[in-house]
Amino acid sequence: MEDLKIGVYVCNCGTNIAKVVDCDATIESASRLPGVAIARPYKYMCSNPGQEMIVADIREHGLNRVVVAACSPRMHEPTFRKALQQAGVNPYFLEMANIREQCSWVHEDGAVATEKAKALVKAAVLRVARHEPLERRSVDMCPDLLVIGGGIAGMTAALDLADAGSKIYLVERADHLGGNLARVDLTAPYLDSARDMLTDRMTRVVEHPNISLLLNSEVERLEGFVGNFQATIATKARNGNAADQVATVDVGSVVVCTGYKEFDASRITHYGYGKLPNVITSFEFEKMLREGGVETKEGKAPQYVAIIHCVGSRNLEFHAYCSRVCCMTALKYAHEVKSAVPGAYVSDIYIDMHAFGKGHEDFYRRSSEVKTLFLMYAKDDYPVIRRADAKDDCEMLIEVNESLSGETIEIPADMVILMVGMEARDDWADVAHLVNISGDKDGWFIESHPKLDPVATTTDGIYIAGACQAPKDIPDSVAQARAAAARILGRIAKGKLEIDAVFAEVDEDKCSGCRMCNELCPYTAIEFDAEKKRSHIISALCKACGACVAACPSGAIAARHFTDAQIFAQIEGVLA
Amino acid sequence: MTFEPKIVGFLCNWCSYTGADLAGTSRIHYAANVRIIRVMCSARIDPTFVLKALHDGADGVLICGCHPGDCHYSEGNYKMMRRYPLLKALLADYGIEKDRVRLEWVSASEGQRFADIVNDMTERVRALGPSSIKTALATDMAER
Repeated sequence: MEDLKIGVYVCNCGTNIAKVVDCDATIESASRLPGVAIARPYKYMCSNPGQEMIVADIREHGLNRVVVAACSPRMHEPTFRKALQQAGVNPYFLEMANIREQCSWVHEDGAVATEKAKALVKAAVLRVARHEPLERRSVDMCPDLLVIGGGIAGMTAALDLADAGSKIYLVERADHLGGNLARVDLTAPYLDSARDMLTDRMTRVVEHPNISLLLNSEVERLEGFVGNFQATIATKARNGNAADQVATVDVGSVVVCTGYKEFDASRITHYGYGKLPNVITSFEFEKMLREGGVETKEGKAPQYVAIIHCVGSRNLEFHAYCSRVCCMTALKYAHEVKSAVPGAYVSDIYIDMHAFGKGHEDFYRRSSEVKTLFLMYAKDDYPVIRRADAKDDCEMLIEVNESLSGETIEIPADMVILMVGMEARDDWADVAHLVNISGDKDGWFIESHPKLDPVATTTDGIYIAGACQAPKDIPDSVAQARAAAARILGRIAKGKLEIDAVFAEVDEDKCSGCRMCNELCPYTAIEFDAEKKRSHIISALCKACGACVAACPSGAIAARHFTDAQIFAQIEGVLA
Repeated sequence: MTFEPKIVGFLCNWCSYTGADLAGTSRIHYAANVRIIRVMCSARIDPTFVLKALHDGADGVLICGCHPGDCHYSEGNYKMMRRYPLLKALLADYGIEKDRVRLEWVSASEGQRFADIVNDMTERVRALGPSSIKTALATDMAER
């Protein structure tokens, strides 16, 4: 074997790594390890200059192995493998040390984190020295697709994919399409009808020859891997006595569009929701608008309507995040109240007015011109609603500590609309489990990269779109759905899918023919050659779990890229 | 100075390693004593990996895989689960305290759970003190 020439690159990740881990000390320690020819830090290894640095070093210094100490290999291993390939080195001669997700982001003490980083780098150096060159395999990409959720995001993704010729299984739990958008009247800021927007999409979905719409259905199981998933879908029987219909379909990718649910307003006691009959949520008000009449529970036209923002949002007690759509929806209500009850007074009680989107600032200005009274309250200093006295000409009184004037103001109300925020659905964790993705602390599904890859996830072939990823308005949900569709179509266009070169192999000279491994394989990838009395692995079927490797009593099976020697080297490295 | 145990963690790629990454992206702080080695599936973890780690100076070994029923490879974690009692029995014969080797299920969405397990295990192993195998080896070396 030629002499080892290992290049070690320690990424600062801006300050993400460097502010905790002493990168120079890590470099210094790495440079003394056996076989290391060059060790360098860089601000962003994943950037083009970072990758070019590796390519240039390989060409100039004849490096034959590379260690990148940076983020999780689940994030950038493909990036750096490509860099090696570009420089003419087998991409499997790379090893990453995860010194960000599993070091700088989880440890505060710099000295301790640096020691850990050094150990992880050492493990990677010892491991990469034992790497073998591997060739990738290619498998067929199933062109059929699964979309979970029939809201605006799910329908959009399904239509784009179906228009391109793929067969789509669109699975919706409810008995109708439309999701939360089907509960909305007009949309901000252009006041066009949600119903019109949806009807067109729904009709196209129902009539599309490439879309198999499964209402009253849920995905029970998802097995397999990118390009070749098997989804088991259960459809509830219409007749209560009949059994549910269960079908298993093959799909290449999955788009998860499971949406959100609204915050339960009764959790904030100050607003008397559930006790005061005319305190209603934004969705209840939408229902009223869709049914064509704005009136109090007593059937009267409200003279005073108050709208309270950030119900459950931007508050540490409930959800710290902004739900993004409520400010514009509140302004929309000001318009809709005025058009339903021309003489009504509208007060808009807000914390900050978030008008970040296209046309939003204009809409805010126009709303201010229709004589809406804006009152600002401080976070956590909730307005308090109480029943008005008999002498008052209104149903309720709202006490607001108004921040701009510094005064406590009491305003009348016949109807109060609570702008309830968005939250993750109760069963988000079950969905995450089902498709093997992650949710953040609030239950929003996590994208592969928060800025550069907002539609893919950490599981290859699983995409997310719409409000299941984070609170989102219609245009953003649609954009994400169409982006997910485009990503998937790009892969289908290639037809074949390159997959990892990692699989298990039997050394026939060592195999005793005991057949212990035969039954262990979940993919029936192990054949027994009765003539030779040896087991043999069909590499195309092997998914590289390594169960047979650990079980073989003769040590005859090797897991490519996860060999005993490689893992032993890592153990020695981390314990050094 | 407090004793800082060295723990080797073997984590499956699909659930537990991703869960550990999630602890990072969620900035959940936890003890720095566990050094993680990634394997594709907990079923790949040969008992000799655990023995090798203890032999090479680990004070503890943490094994994490997908929750039962959630294995990326259908049932690899059940294979680990079956192997584990045998391994524990063997370790007990060697006089290795039971808290030094631990099997836990951590899903891709359980960053907090992973951090809690690491913290708890670190404390337990710290309480046990350095591994006797390590001490025995050191004595052995000194006697030679």
